[in-house]
Amino acid sequence: MPEDLEAVAETLRSGWLTQGPRTLEFEAAFAAQLGCAHGVAVSNCTAALHLAYLAAGVGPGDEVIVPAYTFAATAAAVLYCGGTPVFADIYGLHDLSIDPADVAAKITPRTKAVAAVHFAGYPAPVAELRALCDEHGLALIEDAAHAPSATVGGRKLGTFGLAGCFSFFSNKILPVGEGGLLATDDDAVAELARRRRSHAMTSGTWERHTGETDTYDVAALGFNYRIDEPRAALALARLGRLEEDIAQRRALTRRYRELLADVEGLTIPFSDAQIDMSSCYVMPVMVEDPAARGPVRIAMRERHGVQTSLFYPSTHHFTAYRERFGEISLPQTELASATEITIPLYPHLTGDDQGRVVTALRTELERAS
Amino acid sequence: MSWDIALTDVVITEPDVEAVLACYRSGWLTMGPRIQAFEEQFAQRVGARHALAVSSGSAAIHLALLAAGVGPGDEVVVPALTFVAAAGMVRACGGTPVLCDSIGVHDHNLDPQSVADVITDRTKVVLATHWWGYPCDMAALRALCEPRGIAIVEDAAQAVLADLDGEGTLAGTAGVAGCISLFSKKQLCVGEGGVVLTDDDAIAATVRSLRSHAMTTVTWDRHRGHAETYDIVDVGFNYRMDEPRAALALSRLPRLGDAIASRRAAVRAYRERLGALDGVLMPWTDAEVQRSSHFCVGPVFGDRETRDRVRAALTAAQIQTTWYPSITRFSEYHHLGPMPHAEEISWRHLALPLSATLSDEHVARVCDVVEATLR
Repeated sequence: MPEDLEAVAETLRSGWLTQGPRTLEFEAAFAAQLGCAHGVAVSNCTAALHLAYLAAGVGPGDEVIVPAYTFAATAAAVLYCGGTPVFADIYGLHDLSIDPADVAAKITPRTKAVAAVHFAGYPAPVAELRALCDEHGLALIEDAAHAPSATVGGRKLGTFGLAGCFSFFSNKILPVGEGGLLATDDDAVAELARRRRSHAMTSGTWERHTGETDTYDVAALGFNYRIDEPRAALALARLGRLEEDIAQRRALTRRYRELLADVEGLTIPFSDAQIDMSSCYVMPVMVEDPAARGPVRIAMRERHGVQTSLFYPSTHHFTAYRERFGEISLPQTELASATEITIPLYPHLTGDDQGRVVTALRTELERAS
Repeated sequence: MSWDIALTDVVITEPDVEAVLACYRSGWLTMGPRIQAFEEQFAQRVGARHALAVSSGSAAIHLALLAAGVGPGDEVVVPALTFVAAAGMVRACGGTPVLCDSIGVHDHNLDPQSVADVITDRTKVVLATHWWGYPCDMAALRALCEPRGIAIVEDAAQAVLADLDGEGTLAGTAGVAGCISLFSKKQLCVGEGGVVLTDDDAIAATVRSLRSHAMTTVTWDRHRGHAETYDIVDVGFNYRMDEPRAALALSRLPRLGDAIASRRAAVRAYRERLGALDGVLMPWTDAEVQRSSHFCVGPVFGDRETRDRVRAALTAAQIQTTWYPSITRFSEYHHLGPMPHAEEISWRHLALPLSATLSDEHVARVCDVVEATLR
């Protein structure tokens, strides 16, 4: 959009590129729309997760319960802290969220935190998870990379736990290239995240430029997890259109569900009732026959020109995790990973595009059966 | 506080702005063709086989150290007079930072003798930092490290295009890997960004893998239909730079040589004026000024009190200054001290405004205040 580009151009012309007034403004605006006290903008969502786990006190010897049915960063950030990710299964193909019953089964005396992913923008069972965490004295970390402005009971996701982690990666709902944010109501968590995103320095370049401080101390191990001003300006410009984009995504998702309702051989996860709570980041469909998944994807691309994706290979099956943690059984996660196809969904997708996608999927599923 | 003369002045030209906007209009924002083009051109410019764009200079150091094999139990020698990230990134690898001291007030770089004193059987890497853009003594470090099988990683965060040997070997190309920063105060700035340089194919492969979660393919490959899915083969990170920053770096790269020449001219003007004053030492020699790429300029005063007095006078004249602490000054690293030379430099130097656009008149005004304060 022209106003997005103008915001970036103006920032570049100002010559002030490192974390400064635009970052502060974006953080305040993002926190306000979430309804939480603090937003801490960072270089990406992986960085936000790392800082959230550190804020939860995760260190060597500690365990964090995470889903394996998501991007591997949710688990990898536990390893950055010296902790151990313990994988919990999801409910099943009808709901791809982490299953609180399996989380409960995985809690040990070493468990420090639980990470819930709001898969594709649909709420994980935050009330149950929060109750479970409270009962055991654990921190709940929300991986809301997919779920800006999704809600449960009118309350935004990312505000139910100790911290919520958001992504502004280029294929996300609020894209800036690389970017992320940690949201929290906890003053101490916000302070820790602010410090450690910038080498645990007690002041930044902007504060020294404005003369607020003269020098700084360092009293912890920190990182360079800063975002810069051009990206903050872009995120701020786009934030104003977030609700409109999500409304469009919801309408498209509803239409997909209608069009796909009578397609044989498919399970469509989540329910119509959940759409209004979801930010509808992607549209996952589950083919009933795992053997058909690969051929159907290739045929959709080659015969129909329809690009699809896979959300996600299971983290516990990657070489790096097998080597460290051996064979782990997560039946529902494995089934989802073997059967899922992500079909195109973005705000400017047209009705005709949707028709073509559904026809391609229907035709190729029939051919494969 | 608004500064009349700020420490740095970053000028983004209209062609720079247009390059970034063109990238946004393309709609492709994650690592793709612009990153590739920047990496190729940067590698060629500095004379390295590989250049890998990453999210920051710190990320570059973290990945270079991991690629050099630093892990739990390993020691890495780090100068006490450096940015705190160097020690932090050693710890992020699970290693232990061991500090070495500076040569002295006339040359702030690490002292090879001090490095020799702290090397142990566990030393895996010496981080060769080219402070303020002035090359440290690579020949002496090589003589120390090579017989012992210790790798040299160059911290060239402040030293892009610095000439290491007077023969055109550029900073970042003389160790197993070199780390460059593209932070907004640096000679080549994009906001947040960094580069790892290496001639070693295996190190390049490790850095490329670990900067993006050790995934065996990236989004760009999958977008083009070159790959269906991926494996994850190690504990990697999100240390990616994105396309708009690569577009900005690409647009600015051709002007970098001129920008450094302008900075050098300003440094010479400062040296001429301030070097003639009683009680002021301008560190490094004229020959070294020729080889440096000039991140920073700073006189050394007789004592801390004088430095602080000059700084206060400059602040009153709305001229921004700063000074760089020895990391032993921080609570987190105090126990690694004392480091007498690094600490003495910390207390006695003052970094003055320096940029490619700093005018003779600006330099004269800064020097006038310094001179009047010392009189």
